[in-house]
Amino acid sequence: MFDLLVVAAMLACAWMAVRGARLLIAALWLAGASALAALLLYRLGAPEVAVIELSVGAGLVTVLFVFAINISGEEPPGALTSPVPWPLAALAVAWPLALAATMVLPTVRPAAVLGPADRFATVLWEQRGLDTLLQVVLIVGGVLAVLGLLAARRPRPGKEPR
Amino acid sequence: MSTIGFLALLSIAVPWLGAAVVRLLGDGRPRAQHGTAVSFALAGAAVAVAMIPRATGVGVLDVPLGSAFGRLTLLPDGLGVFLAVVAEVIGSLAVVFSVDYMRGERQLGRYYAYVLFFIGAMVGLVLSSNLLLLFVFWEITALCSYALISFYNDDPKAVAAGIKALIVTQVGGIGLLAGALLLYAYQGSYDIPTFLATAGGLPPTVLAVMAFGFLVAAAAKSAQFPFQTWLPDAMEAPTPVSALIHAATMVNAGVYLLARFYPAFEGVPYWTLAVLSVGTVTALLAAVMAIVSTDLKRVLAYSTVSQLGYMVYAIGAGGLFASQFHLLSHAVFKALLFLSAGAVIHAVHTRDMREMGGLGARMPVARTVMVIGGLALAGIPILNGFWSKELVLEAGHAGGPAWAWAFMLVGAGLTALYTLRFLSMVFYGEPRGRLAAHDAGVAMQVALVPLALGTLTTWLLAGPFGAYLGPAAGAAHAAETTRRIVVQVATAPATALALAVVALGLAAWWRRASLSGVARALGGVGRAASNGFGFEAINRGIVRATVASAEALRTTQNGVLNWNVAAILAGLAAVLAVLALGVVRGV
Amino acid sequence: MIPLSLVASVAVLGLVGIGLFGLLVTRHLIKVVVGLQVLVKGALVALVLAGRITGQVQVAQSMALTVIVADTIVSVVALALAVQVRRQFGTLDVRALSALRR
Repeated sequence: MFDLLVVAAMLACAWMAVRGARLLIAALWLAGASALAALLLYRLGAPEVAVIELSVGAGLVTVLFVFAINISGEEPPGALTSPVPWPLAALAVAWPLALAATMVLPTVRPAAVLGPADRFATVLWEQRGLDTLLQVVLIVGGVLAVLGLLAARRPRPGKEPR
Repeated sequence: MSTIGFLALLSIAVPWLGAAVVRLLGDGRPRAQHGTAVSFALAGAAVAVAMIPRATGVGVLDVPLGSAFGRLTLLPDGLGVFLAVVAEVIGSLAVVFSVDYMRGERQLGRYYAYVLFFIGAMVGLVLSSNLLLLFVFWEITALCSYALISFYNDDPKAVAAGIKALIVTQVGGIGLLAGALLLYAYQGSYDIPTFLATAGGLPPTVLAVMAFGFLVAAAAKSAQFPFQTWLPDAMEAPTPVSALIHAATMVNAGVYLLARFYPAFEGVPYWTLAVLSVGTVTALLAAVMAIVSTDLKRVLAYSTVSQLGYMVYAIGAGGLFASQFHLLSHAVFKALLFLSAGAVIHAVHTRDMREMGGLGARMPVARTVMVIGGLALAGIPILNGFWSKELVLEAGHAGGPAWAWAFMLVGAGLTALYTLRFLSMVFYGEPRGRLAAHDAGVAMQVALVPLALGTLTTWLLAGPFGAYLGPAAGAAHAAETTRRIVVQVATAPATALALAVVALGLAAWWRRASLSGVARALGGVGRAASNGFGFEAINRGIVRATVASAEALRTTQNGVLNWNVAAILAGLAAVLAVLALGVVRGV
Repeated sequence: MIPLSLVASVAVLGLVGIGLFGLLVTRHLIKVVVGLQVLVKGALVALVLAGRITGQVQVAQSMALTVIVADTIVSVVALALAVQVRRQFGTLDVRALSALRR
């Protein structure tokens, strides 16, 4: 029952984040959804990822959102509507999801019987070492991209992050 | 990690590191850029040479890359190390030559970065024993080739030539990729040695599709019939690039591919005949085109296509050793010819041979080395081109049909004819234009002289070379010594016949005035040849179709994110619907 | 009592649906990033759920970690891009970026 409440609250937060009219508020709703997703991950038996999601997804990304919104200013999203009318959008999303739900939900089983579990660190560093390496590359690339983007022409004095 | 594994990795990493460093130096410091490029290229060559005594038939450096890519395994066996050494050594000489040739050019960083990137990728291509990685390196070399052909990117001709080379070699890449995926589907890994050992276990149809897919790939990469027209267009590249990529290394990748997989595909019906025919047709057509062209670099390009045809022909006839030995000779003397042509072009600022003439007196060094290279190309004893071409012809005589052998003999005569033609048009006779000329610079001479010495001497390595290639060269040649090969070639009656044909070719040029009637009669052939015998249309068609389909696909990229997402969702819905209806359940 | 796996499946479908809907209905660059974030959270939960069902939670966790890193980088770069787009074009309209269009 508790899990059901968590999921309901998470989906509500996500909906408000996507549909909310004010950007800063939307960022906060997103942080809420992220925190609740972290809780769900914890309940699913993935505490390490839950912690990372909480700190990165709910923490770091929110801070960055607030920064970006501050720098670029509140441009109300209401004016920038999509060429796709929203009933059509709702239909486009609902139809494949309903199809997926009817196919997937009946087959969902409870958790498998767990054998002696590997330690997360062992899996991360030894079995999937290449992934970890690629993450490092990704982070470096991301940092370079952001630096490049923020340095490109016409910086506004006093409004740069850091 | 074993020494050889370390060296093999280093031979790829050093040039790539150099590429990054040169690029990061920035274009404001040309001296530093020249120096960096030369030192990294020479370091790479040193690493490659150090690999020679350590070649092994066992894979080294085993890195798992996840289930989709298999394992990164390098196989520095005789064949691989040999081609790696060719790439690194000739690459470093081309870089040294560039110091003079590219002096004062803008965007040196881009130039050297791509050249070094290419050298590393070429080494990776020949050392990789994972077919998927081989494909990746294959495509990197194509990319570098494209970028360097289009180096002068304010010249529309250079850009068009680059795109043409890229697209035509991609068509071949599809054949290679199809072969790699088929191998994975039926063998469960991309490992090449495993495939060579167990090829007989694959279904014959699958093996045949792979064999002909690889033939298409090799033909596109090595500019063989019917894809031969991209290489002459590629001559828009700076001349050191033509020498390195479009004469000595990348175009050999196709020959390498055929030689590497020959043991597996040998038994496929009609495959060896197809290879042999492709080589024969290419060698003849390209030789005729070389006779009528008036652009110095294009003549050399046609001649490259023609000589590559000889190598492919030798593989089709089962003469792996002959083909690889000719590859070695050709890499050396053709790099020499291109670089000396570069010295001439750099001095007189034109590629049109009709404006040259009488340059020999003013460019003694360039003339001497180019004549050495030219005589090797024509197959004059005792230069390296003579021995390897005789070996190719001998292999063809022993293992191929008589008609192909006769055609190749004619080709040898034509080769002698066009060689003499371009040498005399450039260096001898009366000066036809008022061209200011100066001899090759110091850096140019540093690059030219070792190649000229190599042209005079590499044939002495025939015996050790055969032993070095070992099983890759076929068992017959593994135990030969240089002396036995020399005696065998020198005493074979076929050699005398070939020399007679070559002499006929030479005589045809001396007596061209009295043969003018014949020349007029053959005028139609000449006109057809200068239009590429109509095969230009095939290649142009491929390029046009690719570009047109890309333009058509552009409408789907209208830049409206929402529609893109909607299209993704529609695709998802379609896939789910198919799954729900169980259409693919039976598969 | 509804099993946790089923609840989590509903959460996956809900998050993915809301995220995709968010991507469909706005041209606002920052709102696009928000939609992307929601979508990826759905993918995260799906990964861990799959690991739970098949008994390979740790492998799923390490993949989820990769997803988090990649997604965060994407968001950061996209936000920096948004800042720059606003500076250059004075708007956060996604269509300002479509230089590929002729």
